[in-house]
Order: sequence, then structure tokens, then C-alpha cells
Amino acid sequence: MLDSLLSTLYLWLIAPFDYAFMSRALLASLALSLAAPPLGVFLMLRGMSLIGDAMSHAILPGVALGFLMAGFSLPIMSLGGMLSGLLIALLAGSVSQLTGHREDSAMASFFLISLAAGVMLVALGGSSVDLTHVLFGSILAVDTTALVLITGISSLIVITLAVIFRALVVECLDPLFLRSQGTRSGLVHGVFLGLVVLNLTAGFQTLGTLMAVGLMMLPATTARFWSTRLEGLIVLSVVIALGASLGGLLISYHLSLPSGPAIILLAGVAYLLSALFGRQHSLSARLRRRATPLRADDHA
Amino acid sequence: MSRLVLHDLQLARGGRTVLEHLEGRFQDGAITALIGANGAGKSTLIQAIMGNLTPVAGRVECAVPAARRAWLPQQLALDLSFPMSVEELIMTGTWPSHGAFKGYCAAHYRRGREIMERLGISRLAHRPLGELSGGQRQRALIGRTLMQEAELLLLDEPFANVDVDTVEMLMDVLREMAEQGATLIIVLHDMEQLARLADDVLILSQGHGRWATPDALVERHTGQLTRPPRLPLTFPGSV
Repeated sequence: MLDSLLSTLYLWLIAPFDYAFMSRALLASLALSLAAPPLGVFLMLRGMSLIGDAMSHAILPGVALGFLMAGFSLPIMSLGGMLSGLLIALLAGSVSQLTGHREDSAMASFFLISLAAGVMLVALGGSSVDLTHVLFGSILAVDTTALVLITGISSLIVITLAVIFRALVVECLDPLFLRSQGTRSGLVHGVFLGLVVLNLTAGFQTLGTLMAVGLMMLPATTARFWSTRLEGLIVLSVVIALGASLGGLLISYHLSLPSGPAIILLAGVAYLLSALFGRQHSLSARLRRRATPLRADDHA
Repeated sequence: MSRLVLHDLQLARGGRTVLEHLEGRFQDGAITALIGANGAGKSTLIQAIMGNLTPVAGRVECAVPAARRAWLPQQLALDLSFPMSVEELIMTGTWPSHGAFKGYCAAHYRRGREIMERLGISRLAHRPLGELSGGQRQRALIGRTLMQEAELLLLDEPFANVDVDTVEMLMDVLREMAEQGATLIIVLHDMEQLARLADDVLILSQGHGRWATPDALVERHTGQLTRPPRLPLTFPGSV
């Protein structure tokens, strides 16, 4: 009885990763799950939840150009994506700085232009299969080069985030305080947006340019239903992303479903459940009629 | 002594001159009230003093290092839904000495606790900012400037939206800071608060600045003297 249970569990949970392509996919998505959610938490707290989406469009023309010039070469495509993402973020930022145009509308305009340009470029040089690949990725096609690239970028993001962490926190709460201290808050903001672009380029191979945003934002917005503390939000969102990655890969393996959407949908399920039953701001929290007694936290 | 001097200052916003020919010295250890109608240029002047706005003409001479200048904007300017506790906010006041990288040591946490004690917010140390009342938030924000050991402090309507007890406490704290030599500039609207707190008044009106004493201003404003006239000790006819 126990033996058969164990062997079923083994077949379900462990055996799939005996295949090299599955274990590479797992490693890649776990690395992304460590790097993406903290960025998502900060984007969410800055009221920039949709910027990730916009950014994901911005890396498309570069990826497409890399594809046209070098064929399906991940390093070249990633480099192209990174450059076009940074360039367009910089352009949008400076247009709003120079003209007084609101930053969000400048970004929206540039990102729509770049999405159209990217799709056009892909169509010029390839087939619709290539387009689907770039837009939605295929996590099961991650080779060793891609894995090295993804884990390298993820490590870089985590380290940089740790370095700028305090500045980022202070800048989110009160940018003027930072500026009055002689620190250029624009620099912190710029480095942060750069990390978002980096993360999206790391994610596009596995999840596609559009889905990569999902692993960044969904765990972060889900965590908001459970924690009111920054550390809590970050740890929780990483745990959710890790769980969604592992679960999504297994589901996609056993049910022969595309892996990217499986991972993101699983994170989406976590979001919906949290919206219903979470500890903060959820439906059940709203219906709950209990409160901590007065002065309960005096002794905390 | 004054470490902050304005020299024939002309300031503009969006190509339109807001203030011109502004002169004056802010005394060390004095509290200057900045008053004026909406749009008179109070915020513009504060921006210029903080060095965030380049004057069209003239200059701001400020001997206080940037790290020791603190500006407390109106509460609305801050994102108070950010998940940060009172203690964490106060600890960010160590920025001048610690910057982005250096770890906090026990001495700084102790100083933070002393500040919270002084401001009567010790029991709120771990409460998120978003759950505080207006008065509690203002105490926490003043706590950050105390941590920062600010020598030039600019406050934009610090008593708006704040309960009476907090106003009393903050007035004491601000007065203490001035006594220790800090220069304070406070945007105020309330004449009573002005009479109690300010040593000097800078009135901004129609693009110009005018200096006044609180007594003269309050007298003109209300038609009453700030302090009741001293009664004669002896009355006619008394022995």
C-alpha cells in the first residue's frame, strides 16, 4: 500500500525530471522565480503594476532584430531585447522629462510602437511559429546556454536588488527625502527599471515576452493579500513563484499542456484564491467581523 | 549668525516669475514662519532653498550641508500605503551617516527608541504607517528628522490634520531643536500657532517678500495684542 503510494508519488513528482529537458526547465524557472517576484513587489508598491507589461513589449523589436540577424540564437536575441528594452525605457523617460508629458502616457505610446515594430520584424523574417515562440516562449526548449544565461541574469538581479534595497525603499516612500540627501533618486529608479528589463529578457526564452511578466506580477499581487510587511511580501511572493513553477511544469508534463501558460495560470489560481480567502483586503477579510482587542499590541 | 541667506532671489515656475527681489537672513536657532496665500510661492521658495529649483536670478547661500537639510512635505505627498513600520521610517533618518549600504548598529536602534519615547510613539514602533492617524504619522515623520540631526528644517503645514495633543508636543520638540541651534522654516496658516512658535515671519505676497515680527503681524491681523497689556499694580485711590 505504502509502496504503491510512494511509487505513484515518485512517478508524478520526481520521475518527470529524469529527462534532461525537464530538469533544465525546472532550474531555469526556479532561478526566474527567485529574481522576478521581488521586482514585482516593488513595481506593485510603486503603483507601476502595468509597467511590466509595457516593458515586455519594448524588448520585442530587439529580440526580433536579433532573430533576423543571427537566427535562433538566444544570446544574440537576449542582447537585442535588453538593448531595445533599455533604449525604449530611456526614450520614454526622457520624453516625459523633456516635454512634461506624463510618464505613463509616454511609456504607453513607446511600448505600443515597439510592439508593432517587433511583430512587423518577426513577420518580415520568419513564420508565425517563430512569432508564437517569441511571444509565448517554450520552456522545454531551454538548452545549456540558455540555462547559464538565465541563472546568470537572475543572480545579477538578486545581487543588484540587495545592493540598492534601502535606497529603493526610501525612494518608494519619499523620493524627495532621497533627493534632499544628495542621492540621485533618478539613478535608483533607472537601475530598478533596468533590472525589470533584464528580468524580462531572461524570462522570454522560457515564458515568452508576454508571459514573463506573469511570474513577476502575479506572485507579488497574491502576496499582498497575506502580508503587510515588505520582507513578508518578498519572501511570500518568491515562495508562490517557486510553487507555481514546479506545479506548472508538472501539470504541463502530465497533461501535455504548454508549460508557460500552465505556470502562470497556476499563479493565477493562487491569486484568485487569495483574493477570496486572504488575510488582508480579501473578500473574506471584508466579511469577517472580528478585531483585535484595544491595546492588544501595547505589549508587542 | 545665519547660515541661510537669500540674495536678491528671483524664482520662476513654468516660465512665470513667482517671486522676485527676495532678500533676507534666516537666523540660526530661530523659527521663521512662512506665510502667504495659495500660489504666493511658499513651496517654490522651499524648493529653491532645498536646492531642487535653480533661481532665475540671485542666489540662495546655504552653509548647512545637504545631508543636514530636512524637508517635511505635507503628508499627502508621501505614499503612506508603503509597508513600512514607524521604527523603520525613523531609522531611514540615519541616511546622512549610513547611506544606502551601511548596517544599523545597536547605538542607532537605541537612539531610535529614545526618539520614539520622546515623541510618545514607542508603542507604535512596529505599526505600519498606513494604520496611523494623522497625528501619529506626523510624530513619526518628525522622528525621522530628529534621527537625521537636521540643522535646517523646512516644514510644510506640519500641524494640518493633526490632533491638539500632537500639536502641543511637536511645538515643544521644534522649539527644542531651535534651541539647539537648528534653523527652522515653517509654513503656517494659523495665527495662534504662529504667535506661539515663530520668532520671525516672512510674508510672501504678490511676488514679493516682506519680513515682520509675529507680534506686529498678529496685532494687525486680529486687532488684538498677543500679550494682554500689563495691568497697573496700583489703582488710583488705593492706598
